[in-house]
Amino acid sequence: MIQFKEKIAQTFFAGASFFCVLVTLCVLGFMILLSLPVLETKMLWPILTDPWSPDHGQFGILSMIVGTFYLASFSLVISFPISLGCSFFIQLTHPGRSGQCLKKIVQLMTAIPTVVYGFVGVFLLVPVVREIFSYGSGMSILSASIMLAILISPTMILFFSQSFARVPKNFTGAVDALGGTAFQKIFYVILPQAWPGVLTGLVLAFGRAMGDTLIALMLSGNSVMLPSSLLDSARTLTAHIAMIIAADFDSIEFKTIFICGCVLYLMTSLGILAARLLDWKHA
Amino acid sequence: MPGLTRDKLLVCFSWGAVLLLVASVTAIIGFLVIKGYRSINLELIFADTRPLDAVLFKRPVFGGLFPAIIGTFFLILLSVGVALPLGLATGIYLAEYAPAGLKGFFSLIVDILAGIPSIVVGLFGFSITIFLHHFYDNRIFPCLLISALSLAFLVLPYIIKTTQEAIESLPLQIKLTAPSLGASKFENIIFVLLPSALSDVVSGVVLAIGRCAEDTAVIMLTGVVATAGIPKSIFASFEALPFYIYYIASEYSDPSELMKGYGAALILLLICAGLFALAHLIKHWIEQKTRFRY
Amino acid sequence: MEKRIRWISGLSILFFLLSVVGVCSASGLDAFKHENGTLRISGGTAHIPVMKEAAKRIMEFNTDIQIMIAGGGSGAGIKQVGEGLVDIGNSGRKPTDSEIDKFGLSMYKWAIDGVTAVVNPANPVTSLSSKELKEIYGGNIVNWKTIGGEDRPINIYTRDKSSGTRSVFWKKALGKGDISGKANFVASNGAMKTAVTNDPFAIGYVSVGYIDKSVAPVALDNITPSLQTVQAGEYNVARGLYSNTKGDPSGLAKKFIEYLLSPEGQKIVTRKGFIPVN
Repeated sequence: MIQFKEKIAQTFFAGASFFCVLVTLCVLGFMILLSLPVLETKMLWPILTDPWSPDHGQFGILSMIVGTFYLASFSLVISFPISLGCSFFIQLTHPGRSGQCLKKIVQLMTAIPTVVYGFVGVFLLVPVVREIFSYGSGMSILSASIMLAILISPTMILFFSQSFARVPKNFTGAVDALGGTAFQKIFYVILPQAWPGVLTGLVLAFGRAMGDTLIALMLSGNSVMLPSSLLDSARTLTAHIAMIIAADFDSIEFKTIFICGCVLYLMTSLGILAARLLDWKHA
Repeated sequence: MPGLTRDKLLVCFSWGAVLLLVASVTAIIGFLVIKGYRSINLELIFADTRPLDAVLFKRPVFGGLFPAIIGTFFLILLSVGVALPLGLATGIYLAEYAPAGLKGFFSLIVDILAGIPSIVVGLFGFSITIFLHHFYDNRIFPCLLISALSLAFLVLPYIIKTTQEAIESLPLQIKLTAPSLGASKFENIIFVLLPSALSDVVSGVVLAIGRCAEDTAVIMLTGVVATAGIPKSIFASFEALPFYIYYIASEYSDPSELMKGYGAALILLLICAGLFALAHLIKHWIEQKTRFRY
Repeated sequence: MEKRIRWISGLSILFFLLSVVGVCSASGLDAFKHENGTLRISGGTAHIPVMKEAAKRIMEFNTDIQIMIAGGGSGAGIKQVGEGLVDIGNSGRKPTDSEIDKFGLSMYKWAIDGVTAVVNPANPVTSLSSKELKEIYGGNIVNWKTIGGEDRPINIYTRDKSSGTRSVFWKKALGKGDISGKANFVASNGAMKTAVTNDPFAIGYVSVGYIDKSVAPVALDNITPSLQTVQAGEYNVARGLYSNTKGDPSGLAKKFIEYLLSPEGQKIVTRKGFIPVN
């Protein structure tokens, strides 16, 4: 009797897990399935490389892919030094009360909704950017990157702090015993030990930045041209999907959003796989 | 001494980073509070309907936040209601039952699910709606149910991962005691492991709730509209607080609506911060009650 | 006896008058008295203020009715009503023949509106020739100082392809000219207004009914866009506001459209800044 109940419980738990895996694979499956009409007409290459100009029959998402990369990369450029500095602060230079206080603040920051970042960005950041640079409408990659950087920093800081904390205490203790400075500790012991974790954190943050919709939609201007400078307006894949979803159903514009979905899914999954491999190789 | 200068540089660098971060967060929250605190009053939420009538659903509210707040509330209820059993079961399976190879593969898949951009999840929900609409029942539209299910997929990884890690990090003494006294695996899980891991599981659930409350991309594609009133069934369109904020930001028609937007943003911020604090408190309280000495 | 006859006849006349008035006012909200159910509306964003007001009145009158309003643009409205996803699809342009054939649409025009280029109220430029407008949107004139403004780049704002406002502006004001790829995209009339209000160097286009103190209309070839000039036919960048249904409307949709075309509905149309058709 107990065996029977056990079997049922196990099947139930296993069933739930298989269902979750199924859902994840289905998401990719649906994206591919619904992109098939486009793939069949052999339009995949034009869609990946053309500019977006429906009036002229061009439905390329190249500018969107480039826009996504620019935005995510630049927000990492802003966020990485800040996150690194904050994690040094928490783990190294001020591990006592100030460090714990900062950690609490950073944890609280993870609770701030994305749409609030976008809202404040529109009414606070965009006019400032417009005035400082006297160019453009203020809605640009720069504004979006700044807000995005603030969004992804807390996760990166917590991740880096965790990686630094994992460095064995006898190593850091040895540096202290030999009279080493904090700088030497970081550069010769902690970073060489923890850099896989740092890299993983970077990759995950990059994935998060690529996948964000609201900040890009509200702050980056959404123009269709290839961005040539930070102050240019640009469109990301995510904002593109949000904007086109209201369009006609059978049109080619609509079908391109599934290709966008595929591209996004594959890019973030590749990032996760890369992070996993790094972890595995240096475990 | 070169060592000391470099140290000083390091400290300066760290302080610089910290100040920059804290300054930006203060600017963001401060801006919102300054612009929004004046709008927080009953009129913001209920407009010209009497609060009691509105809360008892006797009369509809026009121009207030109440339908959006109710919409968000129902969303949270439905999606966590679906995600919780599913996520718990999967977490338990991964921690306790799964054979090693399968476990690695499943964990990878869960990580991938966690990494899927929210708009792709919304797109998935939308495409399911289209399929069902064409091949099943013509009356299926993007609605509360579809949004809640899509949100459930979005927050599933949070619950799975926290449950799995919570159970796995329990000390061996706790994991082995009950089976050594004759309990079955299932009884062990239900009566010993889950209660011990409760604080972490609950904080995972509260994290999921917070995520449901603030997500906009998923609901934008699966049924939220700007004007819908209280949803009368799970197959109806609905309003939601984060979407309201986005909508106001992109098209407010006069300064009073903008003020409402500030108020709404402030309310959402308070809700999410409140949930976060709640998670902390619950975790603390449960840890106090189930303190083990290992 | 005579007094009595007079009294009775007076009463009957009064009764007759009252019943006539009663019948007239019954064509307003009373039509919704015993209805219940849901009405889904989507499409053109220019229609939304009128839709919201009408929905509010109906829902307050009869709490069993639920009306849901979404935007999306004229293209989305036509498509969604054709696919059966909504009951009424609004469009700010006349549905094309192919659309009418494909979906079997019935169109109902309940207002006339114009589309005008707008700039920020602080902008000294208030009048443009058609040629200048085309050059600006085409990306050939890039600085305000070329046309008498400040020495700042021009920020162009436009709508996506689903927008009826855009297609009217493109056809009639821009003569189907190219729109520069550098243009910022916004998703609705309201969003366009917000964008132009917040950007001192912006140029965009909105429905004439949306104009208020926060944006300044641009006179095109010396004709100032306003309700009067649109109605008189002088300002020719005009369009009708349509509500479309798949086939003949029935039930709630029919009553809603009749309400829009009724005197009460047309009063809402005027109040929101559009030109009534009756």
